[in-house]
Amino acid sequence: MALAATGPLLEVDHLEKHYGGVRAVDGISFTVERGSITGLIGPNGAGKSTALAMIGGFVQPSGGRIRFDGVDITGMAMHARARIGLVRTFQMARVFGNLTTLENLLVAAPRQRGERAAGVVGGRRAWRSQEKELVSEAQAMLETFSMAQKANDLAGTLSGGQKRAVEIMRALMMQPKLLLLDEPMAGLSPSLSRHLEDVLLKLADGGLSLLLVEHELETVDKLCGKVVVMAQGKVLSEGRMSELRLSREVQDAYVIG
Amino acid sequence: MAWEYYLVVMLVYLGTDLLAVWGLNLEFGVAGIANLAYIVVVAAGAYAYAIVTLGPSSGNGGFQTYIGGFTLPFPLALLVGAAAGALVGTLIGLTGLKRLRQDYQGVAMLVVSLMVTTIVSADIGLFNGTAGLALIPNPFSNLDPDTARWAYVALVAVCCLIGFVVLRRFTTGPMGRTLRAMRDDDTAASAAGKDVVRLRLVVQAVGGAFGGLSGALLAGFIGGWSPSAWAYIETLAFLSCIIVGGRGSDLGVSLGTLIIAVLLLQGVQFLPQIASSPGLSEDFGWIILGAATIAFIWFRPQGVLKERRPRYRGESPSKLPG
Repeated sequence: MALAATGPLLEVDHLEKHYGGVRAVDGISFTVERGSITGLIGPNGAGKSTALAMIGGFVQPSGGRIRFDGVDITGMAMHARARIGLVRTFQMARVFGNLTTLENLLVAAPRQRGERAAGVVGGRRAWRSQEKELVSEAQAMLETFSMAQKANDLAGTLSGGQKRAVEIMRALMMQPKLLLLDEPMAGLSPSLSRHLEDVLLKLADGGLSLLLVEHELETVDKLCGKVVVMAQGKVLSEGRMSELRLSREVQDAYVIG
Repeated sequence: MAWEYYLVVMLVYLGTDLLAVWGLNLEFGVAGIANLAYIVVVAAGAYAYAIVTLGPSSGNGGFQTYIGGFTLPFPLALLVGAAAGALVGTLIGLTGLKRLRQDYQGVAMLVVSLMVTTIVSADIGLFNGTAGLALIPNPFSNLDPDTARWAYVALVAVCCLIGFVVLRRFTTGPMGRTLRAMRDDDTAASAAGKDVVRLRLVVQAVGGAFGGLSGALLAGFIGGWSPSAWAYIETLAFLSCIIVGGRGSDLGVSLGTLIIAVLLLQGVQFLPQIASSPGLSEDFGWIILGAATIAFIWFRPQGVLKERRPRYRGESPSKLPG
């Protein structure tokens, strides 16, 4: 166990995904260290989102292994990964549209007594105290994201940026160890993007690890310690953004602005 | 008196319809499972109740053949009916395990419904084929007829009361919230750590128990049960109650049941009969039902009573959801 706690948080080992004859992801390997923000970049069709989907458990790999926190999770179901702290968000924000914003956060809280058989049989008394704590936790999170006034609005009525925020808050309610973010800045206004960058940096300072697929290279530059560059299903290079800008190979595959 | 008899029939139908609609609303309205085979769990409950109360099939000169054949007391027989519904509901739920899209799942379950009707109708010694089962004992047959009728109404009322308490345990609180999240987006629910497959099976077992109890109560009251009582279109009538009443709202769908099942489908019986077209009033009922459902989908998709969510001020919900 001591070894597990000191190794990399996420190890991707020769991961592959074939669709018929197409090798969407072609044997990639990289790691995400504890408490770091790692970027995954590359041109369109490089296989970034497929790689992220396999790590999150949404797509089953054709080959290779994934280890998380020292445990092999290659065949593990998505909900089981979420429960051990590997949490993803989606490229298009997905909220529970007919629940309120606050409920969207509450629903994600792990180990809820009211969801278990004992809680259903026991009724309110079995879960009321835990629910009270979760409500204050969720309300505090809404405050930090400046969305307290939206608490009782149905999430389906929120704007695109607000939905993105709800999704990230929902992920945080799950007390993740590693957060997988698929283009979190897409479709956000510049000011909202800056705000989200600050939030993500603060979270990383607090010990949360992030793996980020992002097109906006300025964001990647600002947030990510290590950057993994993918092209045509393979890892082309990895390192700091400043080093990668100078790499001829990366420049050819991915025209860096 | 005729009106009294009619009132009893209406109340028993209302109660059994409520149980079935609550169960289907838990599946479709709350958890998002388009179970178009729901009437099969009602049938399972009715047949189960019949064969555990009818006694051996050689009785009454052996004019009907069926499997099993016991003489259990009625409270136990009702429980057997609910259990049969839960079991069959779970089996139907297994068809959804492939993580098909919700609409495909609905079609798969509709096919299950048609298949089961065909199998039961083919007289293979299961439940006496298309003729169905008759002489299912009424638990209060030893009382005088008037008392027996109202005793049955009381029995149905008690079942509804217990049913509603159980139902609210699943539709409110953290469990209700999780099921509604699964309905809104099952992929996002998985990503939020919810075991969608397990939740679906649990919901279809519980919803099945409601349907099974409904069928058992109906069989005990009518005294007979045959494939014509559980055509797939009956599922659509329950769905209409849900759409008109307000998908996801327990009170709403209860109101929908009152409007659709009682006022509309029973109400057409008061229309004047035309001798040359004996089935006309019933057909007319189905046409009105279809038209009402379409009208609600167009003009008031949230139904009569909209699903309400709890609002939070400070630390506790100021209102329970409806």
